[in-house]
Amino acid sequence: MGIDLVAGVGVGLIIGINLDGWLDTSPGFLITFLFLGFAAGIRNVIREANKMQREAEDGLQGQADEADKD
Amino acid sequence: MVCKDRLMRRIKIDRDPHEAGRTKKEMVAVAGPLEQFEIKPYAELEVAGFDVSFTNSSLWMVIVVTALTFFLVGGIRKNALVPGRWQASVEMAYEFIANMVKENVGREGKQYFPFIFTLFMFILGSNLAGMIPYSFTTTSHIIVTFALAAVVFIGVTLIGFAKHGLGFLKLFAPSGVPAPLYILIVPIEVMSYFTRPISLSVRLFANMLAGHIMMKVFAGFIISLGAIGIAGQAAAVLPFAFNIFLTGLEILVAFLQAYVFAILSCIYLHDAMHPAH
Repeated sequence: MGIDLVAGVGVGLIIGINLDGWLDTSPGFLITFLFLGFAAGIRNVIREANKMQREAEDGLQGQADEADKD
Repeated sequence: MVCKDRLMRRIKIDRDPHEAGRTKKEMVAVAGPLEQFEIKPYAELEVAGFDVSFTNSSLWMVIVVTALTFFLVGGIRKNALVPGRWQASVEMAYEFIANMVKENVGREGKQYFPFIFTLFMFILGSNLAGMIPYSFTTTSHIIVTFALAAVVFIGVTLIGFAKHGLGFLKLFAPSGVPAPLYILIVPIEVMSYFTRPISLSVRLFANMLAGHIMMKVFAGFIISLGAIGIAGQAAAVLPFAFNIFLTGLEILVAFLQAYVFAILSCIYLHDAMHPAH
């Protein structure tokens, strides 16, 4: 999960630096894409956390179902 | 040529007058934890200006692929109705991945099973081969794991476009969002998509690298303590015990990381098949 967050910032950094180098706009795109990358990283973490919660709830539900059967 | 230069430099360091005075024991004690990751070319090759030498990394990939082929083909050679131990372990590996693909990609994902199975077995084989003393862990190099992750990423993107055409782009526009927010959401989703190969490759590489460094560091403690004297040798039991624990943990990590890589590839494949979710 931590890697997902860092990877977002890393991708933003790479895209930003390359766009700035290409269009000679340093540091405009770097700043924009760092923020976008950070947002993407947070988005990754939220998606991951949602999935974990859903799995945990499914597990609890499964246990409750089994308890009902008994 | 680059490799030759590096070799020459190493020889020069080895002949350094300061090093010559040291005893052999001290040299063993200072063996760095990163030496195990050094690439050593066995046969130098160059194709179109690229260094494609046959290295210890390549050698261990060949060993892993050969061993896996032997394991899988040998296991199903008899093809008995009541499987023996060998056949049962091959069938277990097959069913494990077959179920993973069925649950995470869906029925239509069956055609991608060979790819996921190859990916899983290769990563698992490389990770486990790295646990053999004096061997080389190919998956502890970022370029190897990134190449694997790039194959998954490019493949999944191509499959998505082939199945849905431009409809695949719906993946970047989640439903139920107010229209003006798309200006912000779409770039974030696109960036999030591009983080996949990076997080996929770094996760595997970092786990293998960190685990092997840690084992080497604690093994170094045993040797350093053993050189102090009787008290040190008695204390060396502690890092030795911890290293035994670490060996078990590393075998767990070898399985876990191969599993994580395979299941994430399945999830990405699922996204490519059903982009509207």
